Amino acid sequence: MNGHRIYGIVDFHTSPSLGNLTANRPLGSTSFLGRYALCDFALSNFTNSGIDNIGLLIKDHQRSILKHVGSMHAWVNNTKRGKLTVMYNEYGPLNPKTNTDARNIMENDYVLYDISADYLVFQSSHIVANIDLRPIIEEHIERGEAITIVYKKVKDIAKEFSSEANIDIDEDGYVVEFTGANKKRKGKANATMGVIVINRTVLAEVLPNYTKPYPEYSVMQIIDAVAKEGNYRVHAYEFKDFAFCIDTYENYCKHMFDMLEYKNAHALLDTNWDHLTKTHDTVPTLYGEKANVKNSYIANGCIIEGTVENCLIGRGVKIGEGTTVKDSIIFSGVNIGDKCTIENVLIDKYSIITKGKTLKGEVEGLPAYYRQGFIL
Amino acid sequence: MANKMAAMILAGGKGTRLQALTRKTSKPAVFYGGKYRIIDFPLSNCANSGITDVGVLTQYESSELNAYIGNGEKWGLNGVRSLTSVLTPKQTEEGSSWYAGTADAIYQNLDWLDRVNPEYVLILSGDHIYSCTYLEMLKKHISKKADCTISVIEVPWEEASRFGILTADKEDNIVSFAEKPKNPTSNLASMGIYIFTYKTLRAMLKADAKDENSDHDFGKNIIPTMLASKKKMVAYTFRGYWKDVGTISSLHEANMDLLLSGDPNTNLYTVQGNHKIYTQDTNSAPQYIGKNASVKDSLITQGATILGSIKKCVVSGEVVVEEGAYCENTVLMTGAHVCKNAKVYDAIVGPETTIEEGEVVNEEKDGIALISK
Repeated sequence: MNGHRIYGIVDFHTSPSLGNLTANRPLGSTSFLGRYALCDFALSNFTNSGIDNIGLLIKDHQRSILKHVGSMHAWVNNTKRGKLTVMYNEYGPLNPKTNTDARNIMENDYVLYDISADYLVFQSSHIVANIDLRPIIEEHIERGEAITIVYKKVKDIAKEFSSEANIDIDEDGYVVEFTGANKKRKGKANATMGVIVINRTVLAEVLPNYTKPYPEYSVMQIIDAVAKEGNYRVHAYEFKDFAFCIDTYENYCKHMFDMLEYKNAHALLDTNWDHLTKTHDTVPTLYGEKANVKNSYIANGCIIEGTVENCLIGRGVKIGEGTTVKDSIIFSGVNIGDKCTIENVLIDKYSIITKGKTLKGEVEGLPAYYRQGFIL
Repeated sequence: MANKMAAMILAGGKGTRLQALTRKTSKPAVFYGGKYRIIDFPLSNCANSGITDVGVLTQYESSELNAYIGNGEKWGLNGVRSLTSVLTPKQTEEGSSWYAGTADAIYQNLDWLDRVNPEYVLILSGDHIYSCTYLEMLKKHISKKADCTISVIEVPWEEASRFGILTADKEDNIVSFAEKPKNPTSNLASMGIYIFTYKTLRAMLKADAKDENSDHDFGKNIIPTMLASKKKMVAYTFRGYWKDVGTISSLHEANMDLLLSGDPNTNLYTVQGNHKIYTQDTNSAPQYIGKNASVKDSLITQGATILGSIKKCVVSGEVVVEEGAYCENTVLMTGAHVCKNAKVYDAIVGPETTIEEGEVVNEEKDGIALISK
């Protein structure tokens, strides 16, 4: 893009744990809207912004991510020039406290020396937004900045973007103060979005200085420390469009169901911004003569013969005759037999609910979670 | 085994009887079954048979089809030992000419086949809908030491006079062939799927090219000539779903066959493991069914938005059916848009075609209507 040499990094370290849902997979490769993995949004932002050279900064469970991204051909514009590099810290999972994105980069420090990139652009795998990175990078270069971070104004940081830092900004657009995630924060805030543009040489200079004395520091914490010491100023760039952060299980479910509202679906999906994902070559979905489907997103490969209301249904789900599924999230490959009643639950992949069974979450509560391979 | 066999897919036909659907594109590129194009079927069958060298012969309105086929990546036919080539008519030292017939199309690409140097050549039509592998057929061709093996399907006797009909002896040796016979002696119809031993095919095509009276067609010329010259010709009986969609009503019927209420022999939904039909991925959002929508006995693919009511419909990507609209027994192709309170019965709505607000199409259900822009 415009001759600037950019290396894109999808950071899987920064995502919070969502309990059982993310016990065996990173949040970034967790299903969203039946068809996507959450990291597809960050990857598509790179592709649509013309950035083809991408590193995946993987914290753990790399199988789940690699199975999804494969050779990366779904996300690169040019399959020769486009590159995918898996960055993984071999010692990371043994020392969870110091399994940070900063130490992962030190372990894979070629990116700090590789002169084919002048700028590194980070995105977090659990933030969903259509971000055109080009104007952000343009502004970074035009202003001659060393570090730019992107933020979004939120109404209550206790309820949204709670996994992210909030920043105070001065009149010149520089960060004065970072406040990391903690339980006391609430109210209006400028929430960071995991998007960082940083000159390669600046990152190469600061990372080794901090990862040794502070092995538990993340890249964002190191940027905070750098700003406090005053060696570099951190430019803040406001992102004004639709965005959300999957910070809790509650918000994961909420943002999925929010997509059933036209204004949200329109803001995220009805754009010229492609959402690229792995193709599974799944057949279209079949609806039976007695099917009764209302207000639901349904992926391909399903056979639906029952009633489905206010649901998000993944690939290849079977829903039998006389069965009712309401207010639920059903992951790929789940098989629900005839005459079942399913309400307010999240059923993980490959589960089987046999004929006539009932599965209900608490009324007004969060959808009850049923693990992958659950059989009832 | 399949490495020794190259496939040639004949995809140059106009498909005149598909009317407006093939005005600006060729028949193999026509949409089918929500997310597919017809040519996805033979190409996927080749991929699933382990065939790695595929030539696709195009001629009529070929831009869209050529762009679609590309390097074969959509069907995985772009691996290290794969070669997918779009073969169009070309200029040569002898001049230039269009493909005069099916046999001439292969003859003009003998140089491509010589380079691939296969032992066997599989000749396919680009406009038939069926899912299979060609491995059993190749096995039979090899074990029978045949020069040519023709895939046949049993058709109802009363329809036999519409097809090329083969008669075979007890050992499946073909004894006669007749194109659309008035009094058929058998009900085994040729499916236009041939396996030739390449050496024999090469010699037959060279001889046929010199024959000024020939139509340069497999059914009319090559097969009868081979039979007359006592070549070893074997029939291979195909069992399963197979459709040659020549007309608007047969294309409509083939779509309806896919529904749960349709033909139980269609196997799009029952094929197992690696045997899938591959196609282009459209980067569409999942399908959305609205708050007041009704969807009965239908097939819908990703990218569609249904806010109104549909019954017995096959719906492609980026289709919108607005609130209050009703579609019945209808195929809605990619990008079709049915506006508020419109009603559509027994129809095919072509790609990117809009049915205006309140418009009523074919309420009298007079055959299958084609609405196309």
